[in-house]
This record gives sequence, structure tokens and C-alpha cells, in this order.
Amino acid sequence: MAMLSFEKKYRVRGGTLVGGDLFDFWVGPFYVGFFGVTTLFFSALGTALIIYGAALGPTWNIWQINIAPPDIKYGLALAPLKEGGLWQIITFCAIGAFSSWALREVEICRKLGIGYHVPFAFAVAIFAYVVLVVVRPFLMGAWGYGFPYGILSHLDWVSNTGYQYLHFHYNPAHMLAVTFFFTTTLALAMHGGLILSATNPAKGETVKSPEHEDTFFRDTIGYSIGTLGIHRLGLFLALSAGFWSAVCIVISGPFWTQGWPEWWGWWLNLPVWR
Amino acid sequence: MAYYQNILTQVQIRPIEAEHGVPVAVDSRWGKPFHSYLMGLIGNAQVGPIYIGYLGALSFACGLIAFEIIGLNMWASVNWDPIQFVRQLPWLALEPPRPQYGLRILPPLNEGGWWLIAGFFLTASILLWWLRLYRRAAALGLGKHVPWAFASAIWLYLVLGFIRPIMMGSWSEAVPFGIFPHLDWTAAFSLRYGNLFYNPFHMLSIVFLYGSTLLFAMHGGTILACSRYGAEREIDQIVDRGTATERAALFWRWTMGFNATMESVHRWAWWFAVLTTLTGGIGILLTGTVVDNWYLWAVKHGVAPSYPQVYGPIVDPSSVAPSVHP
Amino acid sequence: MRTLLAVAGAVAALFLTIAMLGTAGWTRPPMAQQQTGFRGTAMDVIETRANKAAKIEANQAPAPADPAEPGGDKASAVYQNVKVLGDLSADNFNRLMASMTEWVAPEQGCTYCHNTENMADDSLYQKRVARRMLQMVQHINSTWKENHVHEAGVTCYTCHRGQPVPKNIWFENPGPNAGHGVIPRNNGQNVASPQVGLTSLPYGVYAAFYAHKNTPEDAIRVNATSALPETKGKPIQDAEKTFAIMISMAQSLGVNCTFCHNTRSVADWSTSTPNRVAAWHGIRMVRDLNEDYMLPLSETLPPNRHGPLGDVPKMNCATCHNGANKPLNGAHVVETYPELAGPVASADMPAGVPAQPAATPDPAMPAPAPKP
Repeated sequence: MAMLSFEKKYRVRGGTLVGGDLFDFWVGPFYVGFFGVTTLFFSALGTALIIYGAALGPTWNIWQINIAPPDIKYGLALAPLKEGGLWQIITFCAIGAFSSWALREVEICRKLGIGYHVPFAFAVAIFAYVVLVVVRPFLMGAWGYGFPYGILSHLDWVSNTGYQYLHFHYNPAHMLAVTFFFTTTLALAMHGGLILSATNPAKGETVKSPEHEDTFFRDTIGYSIGTLGIHRLGLFLALSAGFWSAVCIVISGPFWTQGWPEWWGWWLNLPVWR
Repeated sequence: MAYYQNILTQVQIRPIEAEHGVPVAVDSRWGKPFHSYLMGLIGNAQVGPIYIGYLGALSFACGLIAFEIIGLNMWASVNWDPIQFVRQLPWLALEPPRPQYGLRILPPLNEGGWWLIAGFFLTASILLWWLRLYRRAAALGLGKHVPWAFASAIWLYLVLGFIRPIMMGSWSEAVPFGIFPHLDWTAAFSLRYGNLFYNPFHMLSIVFLYGSTLLFAMHGGTILACSRYGAEREIDQIVDRGTATERAALFWRWTMGFNATMESVHRWAWWFAVLTTLTGGIGILLTGTVVDNWYLWAVKHGVAPSYPQVYGPIVDPSSVAPSVHP
Repeated sequence: MRTLLAVAGAVAALFLTIAMLGTAGWTRPPMAQQQTGFRGTAMDVIETRANKAAKIEANQAPAPADPAEPGGDKASAVYQNVKVLGDLSADNFNRLMASMTEWVAPEQGCTYCHNTENMADDSLYQKRVARRMLQMVQHINSTWKENHVHEAGVTCYTCHRGQPVPKNIWFENPGPNAGHGVIPRNNGQNVASPQVGLTSLPYGVYAAFYAHKNTPEDAIRVNATSALPETKGKPIQDAEKTFAIMISMAQSLGVNCTFCHNTRSVADWSTSTPNRVAAWHGIRMVRDLNEDYMLPLSETLPPNRHGPLGDVPKMNCATCHNGANKPLNGAHVVETYPELAGPVASADMPAGVPAQPAATPDPAMPAPAPKP
């Protein structure tokens, strides 16, 4: 069932972190494992609560549904269910589901005998999410500083949070994060394009080799990072984007309260200019 | 365990004779390749040679001219004070012409003329570079995927600095050259057109930007994780699947019930990256020309959420007491 | 050589990092909390508790002087040349004079404005300016009571804070290169400008938005009012000016954009906070005061009080607010000085200034015709 031609020999026992053989099986293409069960539990509960929250709200319009965090006055306490309490439970479920998913990836890595790069990368994304909805609200002293769950409402949160610091583009960590996002996309375009161009060459040509790939980038920009290096670079750039995004938001508020343009005063006032 | 994660290259190969590259019909390769230890830690140690054809040389020259015009204008704006030039550099800019000059080909040089000249040379440089990429790919018998991806970025660049200003009837709509000033422009652009977050093409562009980053993390992570089985030899794996591809595919199949192939993951990658700037360019092009206020547009189409009123009704004071104020 | 460069680079990076961490002005929790919109919209005042306490401390209103004995002769009967406060009792008049000294010139004392040989003498420009400023305070506390200053009102101290010249005033900005040779255009922007929060936005925005009462009603408004283009809209350069003046306002009041706006649509009044209405009136008040009370002083004030372009000092939001969203923490400073609550006592224009009818507003007719 739903098995690839070569798949059977890879479906072996073991590699689990928790639960031994108990959940060591597949459902269709999905591996289950102990963390598959917890993922299912948290995501089902979280999704059900989101639907419940939407049902409480004024609209079923998918763009407008909004599950908002509590008022600031509740601080770090639990809020009434219909006034942000739902958001708190959903956040807990989300973190549970994301972490379970990452640990399930670890189990799959162990089964396949491969490195842990993907679950590590996912952990960076989870870290960024946790910084947004747990670490920063905790430092600010209220869960109400988390972002609301809604397609458009979270954009409004981003807009207002940016303008809380008058001009967020001047946040140096935000600059770094955006630069990493753009650079990752540039590198991805170059890598994807290069592999496709080598395996889909001009009409009548045979498939090209890594030597052609190296030559293309040495010819054009003087350096080719190579087949292994591009994946290290890509992973580094992508994780840096996530990491600096987390930094740029966690410093906004707890460690910086003015407009971000004013942060640059230290540069303007360096003693070397005097 | 860290050893097996293959984070850095453990043993660097330094051939006696550096690779000169696949032979091409007209060989204008320049520079003696050398090996860098730092580069070798993550990728190929060899740096160079580079192909210097007339396209590359022209492109470089045009780029240099644009760079000089921008830099000298910035320097002039602090009255040629070298210390202030360094100190204020992030704040300095070369601004496009003022609105009153419309689409005039050459307003006075210090009223935006320099901006047009710099823009011309920068655009020439970029287009020549595109031709160079295309010709280098052709010379090696490769497909043209890289130049076409670059064309998507050029599309966004041309929309911002050329196509949209022409459609709006004024060069003043274009982006200034400058570090902070272009950020100010971006913020002012969003404020002027009623919040760019409500522009659906801006939404798409961000989705593809984040999606690209996600994809590269997934793909880079997968290939590195399977590198002990030779996953980085992607071309070989595409034409003759080995255990590295099989494990990579099964990882994602078992994780999320779906997997790309060693080739198709690069198609996903290419399209996500290309669509970032393609949709971004469309979003910019529609702003001001087709839609004047994205928030009101979103309200009109039932997209914008409404929040419970926290205060009593707030009305525009100028509508309450027109012209009656002390 | 390479090692030397590497070491130099590392030292420079270390130096910059230390300077950045040490001098940028980083803060740390705990935070003071104030929500200005519906939960989850991120409309909040962002402030540490320490900073909030320091701000409250720095904006304490001075204790009012002990009340004067009721009754007694009028000041105009006791003293000569009392033009604005003549209806006060002499005791009350002296009380206010003493308070004004504390508010404006505590170090210089009476002689800052008065010729002690003859207190009625108008020869010192300070006295002529002070008389005009008294009228201005009465004007603010009467005409602008309902829409802006409310019960709190203002006294001299609101702006002066014990200084003869208030800390936050502005002049026309000639730009950073004024008086040098060939000046390339910089659009009046693209330098680090403190008045717009160190952005590279246009710095000449006070002159553009705060100087004249007849500034068009939509001068600051740059958003299109319809989803699709119907008329030719404003250029992005105008949006930059608006952004710049808004940043300046936020900093003057020690708040951020979300104190007044839900920034998902900055133009939309229905999603804004009541603070935005107060700010709207505040802008009109600043224009009113600058045109009717500050600009006419250009002959009275000596050149050393003028700006680099020869213009008089003018006010903006920070002049009164001094970084607090309610000046002097919202204390009802005018309550104990009812003579300052207005309406404007009629008096001649300060000596040395030709009479300008338009510049002396009549409280009964608060809507002078816009100037051509």
C-alpha cells in the first residue's frame, strides 16, 4: 500500500527514541512512532480549538477569522477561554505538535541512517516561533504580546508591531534577516537553475557533469562552491534568516523601546568622528 | 557524532594542476586559480579563473560608472567631507527627479539627472550581465535556467525603477539609490498606498520568499544528511537513482506523505525563487496604477478583518467642523 | 601583512561591537504595560517601568504658590503700565510675578525682564515678549481648552521648565551644507536628522506643517480615499514628509504610532484611538500659536534669539509635551492660577512691533479669514 518500488527494504524496525516497538509502524506513506501519535493529538486538538474559536467569532470568512491572544492586563496568567484562553491553549498545542514533528523526524533519520540536519533546521524554525509567542511575551510580561492566529489579522499585528518602533526597517537584526531571506532565495534560484540546466541541456546535448556546473559559475562569477558546498551554504543562509528573524523581534520591546532609527545614534556618536 | 553530520570538509584536495574548466570554443578565461583554505572548509577550495569576454567587461564598466555616479553624488551631498561621507554613508542617497519633471529624459543633473544617468548605466550593466549568463550557459551546452531565473529578478528591478514610473508618468515614483533612503521609500510607498500587506501579490511574493527559504533548508538539510551516501552528486542521482536519493525521498515520504524526486526538488526550488520576484513585480506594478489603496481594496472584497470597537465612535475632526478652528 | 590586516579587522569589529552594546541605549525588562487597541492587534505603548518612572519624575509640575489674600486694590491702580493683568489684585499680581520668575528665570530673577530702577519700563525685550506670552497662555487655556488642553491647561512652566528659552523649539532648517560652495540637491532629506528620529526622511517638515494656520486641511493626508485610482494621487515624496512629521510627533510625546493609529490603515479614523483626535487639534493649535504669537515677535526678539535663517523660534508638539504624552503628567496646572485661564486680556502689541490686526485674535471671533 502506497509503497515505492524500492521502499520495502528500508522499512526496518528500530531507531525509535521513545516507545520501543509499540508505535513502530507505518500508515500509508506516513511513519507513525510515538511522536506521530503526539503530533496527531496536539494538531487535532489545536485545529479543533481553532475551529471552535472561529465558530465563536463573527465570521467564517477564511481571511477574516481571528484567534486573538488575551488582553495585556492578564499578564502571564491564564485568560478566560473566550478572551484569549483559546489562543493560549492553541499555542501550547502548536508547540507540542511542532516539537513532536521534529522528534518524529529524528526517529525517521535514525531509521534511514542519515544525518539530523532536517530536524535541526526545523528546530530553528520552532525556535523562531517560540521566541515570538513565548519568550518575547514572557520578557514583556504578558501573553497578549503574542501574535494572533488569523491570515490577515497576523499581518495587522506585524504592521502595528513594526510601527511601535516607528520604522522597523532600521532594526539592524531585521536588516540581517531580510538580507538572509533574499540571499537564500538568490542562492536557491542559482542552485535549482544550475541542476536543471545540467540535466536539461540544450537540444541534442547529453546530460552535463558537475565539471560543467563548476565551469559555469567559475566562468561567470569566478568561483563555484561545488556540489556539497552549495547545500551547506543554502542551509546556513536559510537558518540564519530564521535565527535573525527571531533576534530582531526579541530585541524589539524587551531590549529596545524607542524608534529603531534612533538605535543608529551609537554609530553617529562614535568617538572616531570627533 | 558531529563528524558524521558533515558540517565542514575534513580533508581538502589540492590538485597540483588547478581545474581550468570545460573547454569552450573561445577561451577568454583569466586569472591563475588559487586555493583558499577557508573556502575549502565549506565548498571548493579553488578560486578562479573567471571568463572575461567583452560582455563581462562592458557590464563591469557600466556597473562601475553607476557605482561611481551614486557614490560621488553621495559624497557631494556632505560637501565632500570624507569623514562625514563615512559617518553618514547609510543615510546618503541619490534621489530620482522631483515630481514636477515628470518623465523628462534629462532634468538638471543635480535635480535628478544624475539619477537617470546612474540608472541607465546600472540597467545596462544588469542587462549585459544577463546576456553574459546566457552566452556562458550556451557555450557549455547547458540549459538556460539560470539566466531565466535572473530575468525574473530583473523584472522586479525594471518594474521598480522603469516600468512603473513610466506608467505613473513620473520618474519621481522610482526608488532612490541609498541604504536607509530606500528603506524610507519602501515604508512611504506602503503608507501612501494604504498598507502593502493588503496587496495580494505582495502576500504571494512573501509566501514564495519564505517558501524558498523553507525549501532550501529542507533540501540543503536532506542532501547533507544523505551526503554519506553521496547525495550531493545530484546529477548522477537524477539519471541513475542510488540509495542516497532513495533515503532522501523516503525521509520526506515518511514524514509528510509526499516526496519530490532528485530532479523535481530543483524544479520546486527554481519556481519558488522565480515566483518571488515575479509576483513581487506584479504587486508593485499594480500599486498606484490599478489600485490606489490596498486596504480599501481589501475591505471592498471582504478580506480585511474587523475588530470589536474599543472606544466610542471616532470621526474625522475635519469632517465635523470644516474650517472652524481658531 | 595578512595577519596584521586580520588583527586590525578583528580589533575594529570588537571596538564597534562594544560601542554598539555599550552606547546604543539598550534597555531591559520589566516593562510598563499600556494597551491602546483590541487584544492581539499589537496596539501598545512600549516602555520599561524604569523609563516610565523616570519620565514621570522628569515631568513633575511645580507646587503652586500660596494663594494671595483676597481683596485689595487692583494692580492697575497700584502699578503703572500693567496691560494684561491689570484686573488682578495687586497681591495676586505679585504672586503671579513671583511664580513666573520661578517658571522662566529662576536664576536670573526679576531683572531678566525688569529694569529694577523702574519696573514699569518696557525697554527690555524680555518684558515685551513675556507680555505677549501671557496673552498666549490665556489664549491656549481659553480657546484651546475644549479641544486640546482641557482642565489641565498650561502655564509658563509647561514649556519653559525653569529656562528662559524652552528646550524644544525649532527654526527653519537650512540643511547641513548651508553656507558652503556648490550644493548638490539632497531633497531636504538623506542625512541623519534628529528632528525626524535619525531617519533619512525629509527634515524640513516643521516649516512645512507647523508654521501656518492656512495649511491645507489635507496637507498631511497622503492616502487615496478610494480603492481604485480616481484622481491623480500624491507623490511618494509627500508620503515621506508625512511619515517624517508623524515620527517627530511620536517622539515629542514619548509614544509610538499605535498610540493613535491602527496602522493597518493609518488614514482610517474609525479604527484610530481618541488620542488621534486630540493630536489633530494639537497640530492646529501649534499652527495657530506659531502664526499669531511667535511670528509677530520677529521684531521684538533680538537677532541672537533668531535662527540661522533669521526666523523667530517656533514651537512644535515637544515644546509643551517634552516627551510625555500629557505635559507635566497631566497635572491641572492652571487651576490655581485662574488669571491665566483666559480669555485673552486685550492689550497693545508688544512695543517695537507695528500693530498687526490679524495677529491679535479676538476671542469672540475665533476664526480669522485665511491669509492669501
